[in-house]
Amino acid sequence: MKITTAKEGRVVVLRLEGRLNLVAAPRLKATIDEVVATGTVFVVVDMGQVTFMDSSGLGALIAGLKRARQGHGDLRLCSVSEQVSTVLELTNLNRVLRPYPSVEAARDGW
Amino acid sequence: MAGDYCLTGLAVPTSIDRLQDLLAQVREDHPDIDETDLFMLETAVVEIHGNVVEHGHPPGRLTYAFELDVLPDRLVGILADTGSASPDLGDLDEMADEMAESGRGLWLARSVLDELEYHRIGSRNSWRLVRVRHDPAARAQGA
Repeated sequence: MKITTAKEGRVVVLRLEGRLNLVAAPRLKATIDEVVATGTVFVVVDMGQVTFMDSSGLGALIAGLKRARQGHGDLRLCSVSEQVSTVLELTNLNRVLRPYPSVEAARDGW
Repeated sequence: MAGDYCLTGLAVPTSIDRLQDLLAQVREDHPDIDETDLFMLETAVVEIHGNVVEHGHPPGRLTYAFELDVLPDRLVGILADTGSASPDLGDLDEMADEMAESGRGLWLARSVLDELEYHRIGSRNSWRLVRVRHDPAARAQGA
């Protein structure tokens, strides 16, 4: 999975591309940890090019959310596919990790 | 081995992508299969096999075998491995805490399937996964 990082004002946007599974999840978690460690605690994860997510990927997002909140920030998802949306709904995490329709919508209010 | 599609190998992290590539081939070969049915089956396969890769014993030395039958009314998969320990089936019954970073895999697998059975057969773990097929046209009308 490819991860592209872009700082846009006080927000970092992580654009993911590919499968967010057991293989990719540790790298996502490490990337979010690095971003928050630099002091940028508002993170948008753009899932528009993520073709698949499993529970490991979900775990990495939860870990990232907790890390961002520990720094008094937040983490939001946007542009999720039907498969990702289904995983969020089945695990009841669509409220904690509420998906937004776009990066702009996700960063609104920050 | 029987099955319309078969894959075997070592249960190492790269094998997860191999399984997903196989299911992508199924998608290409069978455009009539409802996309939701396919990604639900894929989710279950990845969760169960991911558990084997991550927790199977002895690590890095297990072999796995996957076979899939595309039937007119259902998708039937068999996922077997040579691991010595049976999985913790308690994960099937309880959802992890909301902010837990792990522990959802088997529960999620069961949630997306119509049938999920586990058997210990000789020295192998064997999972049978069944997803009933839906009519894509009917699903589109209902949406």
